[in-house]
Amino acid sequence: MPDTALRVSAHASAREPFTQAYRWMLLARLLEEKLASLYRGGKINGGVFVSKGQEALSASLGMSLKKGDIFAPLIRDQAGRLAFGENILDAVRTYLGSRLGPMRGRDGNVHRGRPTEGHYAMISHLGAMISAVCGGLMARRFQGITGTVGATCIGDGATSTGSFHEALNLAAIEKLPLVLIIANNQFAYSTPNTREFACENLVDRAIGYGVEGQTVNATELDACLDVVGSAVARARDSHGPQLVVANLLRLAGHGEHDDAGYIPNALKESAIGRDCLKVAECVLLEREWASAADLECWREATVEQVEDAVATVQREPAPDPNTENWCALSTAHLDDTFIH
Amino acid sequence: MPQIPIIMPQLGESIAEATIVNIAVQVGDAVDADQDVIEVETNKAVMSVTTPCPGRVGCILVESGQSYSVGAVLGYLEATEEDVVRYGLDVPAPAATLAQADGDGEVAIATPPGATKPAAVQPTVRGLPVPAHAAGASYMSPRMKARMSELGLHAADLAGIAGSGAAGRVTIEDFEKFLSQLENLTLTPASPMRVAVADAMRRSATRPIATAGIPLILDAVLAHRKQANPKPGPALYALRALGIALAENSAPAGRLVGDRIAHPPAIDIGFAVEVEDGVLVPVLRSVDSTPLADLVPRYNDLVEQARQRRLSPAASGGSVATVTNFGTFGLTWATPIPLPEQTLVLGLGAGRVVPQWNAEKSVFEPATEAQLTLSFDHRVLDGGAAGRLLGRIAELLADPGQL
Amino acid sequence: MITYLEAIREAQAKALADDPRVYIYGQDVGAFGGAFKATKNLAQEFPGRVLDAPISEDAMVGSAIGAAIEGMRPIIEIQYADFSTPGFNQIVNHAASLFWRTEVKCPITIRLPSGGTAGSGPFHSQSMEGVYAQYPGLVILTPATVEDAYSMLLEAVAIDDPVLFCEHKYLYYHLKAEGLPTEALPVGKARIARQGRDATVVTYSAMVHEALAAAEELATEGYEVEVVDLRSIKPLDTDTVLASVARTGRLLAVGEAWPWGGVTAEIVARVASEGFELLDVPPRRLNAKNTPVPFHPNLWGTHRPTAQTVARAMRELLQL
Repeated sequence: MPDTALRVSAHASAREPFTQAYRWMLLARLLEEKLASLYRGGKINGGVFVSKGQEALSASLGMSLKKGDIFAPLIRDQAGRLAFGENILDAVRTYLGSRLGPMRGRDGNVHRGRPTEGHYAMISHLGAMISAVCGGLMARRFQGITGTVGATCIGDGATSTGSFHEALNLAAIEKLPLVLIIANNQFAYSTPNTREFACENLVDRAIGYGVEGQTVNATELDACLDVVGSAVARARDSHGPQLVVANLLRLAGHGEHDDAGYIPNALKESAIGRDCLKVAECVLLEREWASAADLECWREATVEQVEDAVATVQREPAPDPNTENWCALSTAHLDDTFIH
Repeated sequence: MPQIPIIMPQLGESIAEATIVNIAVQVGDAVDADQDVIEVETNKAVMSVTTPCPGRVGCILVESGQSYSVGAVLGYLEATEEDVVRYGLDVPAPAATLAQADGDGEVAIATPPGATKPAAVQPTVRGLPVPAHAAGASYMSPRMKARMSELGLHAADLAGIAGSGAAGRVTIEDFEKFLSQLENLTLTPASPMRVAVADAMRRSATRPIATAGIPLILDAVLAHRKQANPKPGPALYALRALGIALAENSAPAGRLVGDRIAHPPAIDIGFAVEVEDGVLVPVLRSVDSTPLADLVPRYNDLVEQARQRRLSPAASGGSVATVTNFGTFGLTWATPIPLPEQTLVLGLGAGRVVPQWNAEKSVFEPATEAQLTLSFDHRVLDGGAAGRLLGRIAELLADPGQL
Repeated sequence: MITYLEAIREAQAKALADDPRVYIYGQDVGAFGGAFKATKNLAQEFPGRVLDAPISEDAMVGSAIGAAIEGMRPIIEIQYADFSTPGFNQIVNHAASLFWRTEVKCPITIRLPSGGTAGSGPFHSQSMEGVYAQYPGLVILTPATVEDAYSMLLEAVAIDDPVLFCEHKYLYYHLKAEGLPTEALPVGKARIARQGRDATVVTYSAMVHEALAAAEELATEGYEVEVVDLRSIKPLDTDTVLASVARTGRLLAVGEAWPWGGVTAEIVARVASEGFELLDVPPRRLNAKNTPVPFHPNLWGTHRPTAQTVARAMRELLQL
């Protein structure tokens, strides 16, 4: 049994942010459970990628950001997206392939966003979004806009890519207000950390890049709110790029098509295997910030919110190939119509 | 003394020239190998040009402040034979292999030495020779085909054009020239009839056509005809005889398609009727089972309709052989071309009185003789079959009462 | 007189002056003025807008995309087209797909110094336009003249889609013109560089000059060859190509890139399928040899088409 006992935390959050973060975590969890169920019901094309175990970290980031900031979420950032202002319908529409979603069926699942509103849409190549965030921050600087933070979240696996390296290096040279959260959930698909990097701790790389770095126990919402919040604050306060290495365990498969049989039970039963949602619930109860009835009430309301969204979207039309303009350029007259 | 050139080096990618900023030596000065002698400037840097070997400055060909191309000779050193060998300068330098700028805006790139002469163009496909019919004179390009289709022309129309293309190919230029020269000649329109006949004959001539003939004594037919009422035309006698003969053996009128012969479904035979500017071929149905006397009125009707150009499609299609009496034009023999969908055309020439040898009486007696010719698709039958068919027809015509 | 390279510099100066959203990012483009001096003095004239980038093509292009999302119009100088491959992913998977996926425009211009010069070797000589052309969502320009180097770069910066500007390194200092143009053909229109009647050569960039030299040689033999300068690979002005082949009936497509697929194959495919009946002879292509670009000038000299080999190919076409 995972150890969900409350321990006195070095980080003490205020009630409001903690409770609000918990609500985002709950919504993310219930939404993703519904999506996973729809996937197994044959209603979703492609894959479903859930963030079970990462909600505390992600919600903390989303809540620390402000309107006007730039956020490039990755695969397991549902809580953060919601906290930063994503409409739940965007998520459901993109997964279910509704023509009315932000990607209009042209991309799916987690590959979604509204770039001009600060929600960058990821491409699948891990690490690639970091430099895009850097560029967005450079633009703000050119435009004389101060006080913006750009944030992105990546996994332990993505730190092996050249694009991660180049982008972090560039952010450091340019002294950009970048917050880079590495969610080390111990596995990149089936690949454990020992096959991903050889340094003792990923945070040691911060020195190499010339940036500030911290670690956080991502199973505890308190810790996440504190560490992530302070990283965002420091970036906003011109201390340069902030690297936060979060330790947790991925509590689901890489995608819903994966049963994660390669994760050893010992790991699942250790401290790192605790479910941050349950830990947060224990804290709420312990601190009497919510009663069991409150929790149940929130849960019911959230389930209803999710069900409504899904029901709405299921009635919406799918993209129609015959009405697509099949043009990849915004400058229509430069589209080479000779090729079909 | 050997003269060794000092060459302007390639001082950076895409650099084409450099400007002399300082000439550090004078004519007559002694120099070492690898000594900086001339300073040049590109838009990136100032660098020095070095000597290739020791010697004496023989001449300087450039001026300070002027620009010279990469590869240009800036001056010459006088060196000893010994030094030339020691420094490997006795092998002639390759001809200019660096790109040189030729004046403003032009780009000329020197041919490297040793570039081999190209092999002659061969019409081969992966080393296998292209069959003669696929190359050369009969090859028509897509453009030619499109143009010909536009003008309603066929390969037969090109027969007179000399081709200037490879292996005598008629190029589109040859073709257009031919057409424009055509306009200088007197041109009259060809009637639709003419064009239709031309098309039929062109299509028919894609087969190997042969002709065989026999002399036919017409006296029996002429005698029968004198008494007949109504009178069958001479062609009708031949047509009826052909019909009976084909009913006995229809193979000679079959059509060859690939490796199979399609036999005629019915012995329907057509006959040629001359009309203005062409020929129509009305058809008599089931000639084998219709006595000659019954054929006469039908024949006459059809001739009349043909002449008035009122021949219905039902009356002019689907025959399996044709008879033509060109004797009416005074022709004694001819090699008509069968219709494209038929294998046989039977031709009857003009009759003439000739001496015929009577072996019993050992005298020549007058007889009326005409040439009976069979033009046929030689893929379907050979001389023997042609001879047998003609012989049977002659046999039947020797006793017209059977018809 | 102004060189092709100076025209590129002038266009960038004008772009920086006219639009505060433009900035330049690339290795050595700042104080040094660029490896080929394409940004000479621009860092001084436009402080803070011409910045040295670390050697990180992926991050350079990725950051340009982010900057474009936020309203800037970056010009990225990749030092050699050959080095764009570390940034290939950002170009073809991110920049080229951004608008189609998100309806957010990506007005970035990536300058790719392309093509070979004697001695530059396999990794400083490549012509990559055919590879990139495969991906939808990119505009690809290949200026052959000093005037086009100027006007098309200005238009590239103004276009709201990602543009690959394939400038030719050999033409940088070898090609000169009287001055800058005051008007220009728009992007998407090919140019008849030389009118002719007997055959059409379709090509682009440095090869236009080889084709013109070859056409001059053929003129002495009584043939008038028409040379079409595509100016842009994407879009490719097929109408002009077809009209030319309609006039001449013979097509030779010439390119400096490798023979498999690519621009010349695309030209021939289009003409063969849409203009089959315009052809009096089979269409032909002339490309570089099917090996990496050699270093030694002797080998380089025959590796890609030259005026001589283009003339030879033209003759073969004319004698069919």
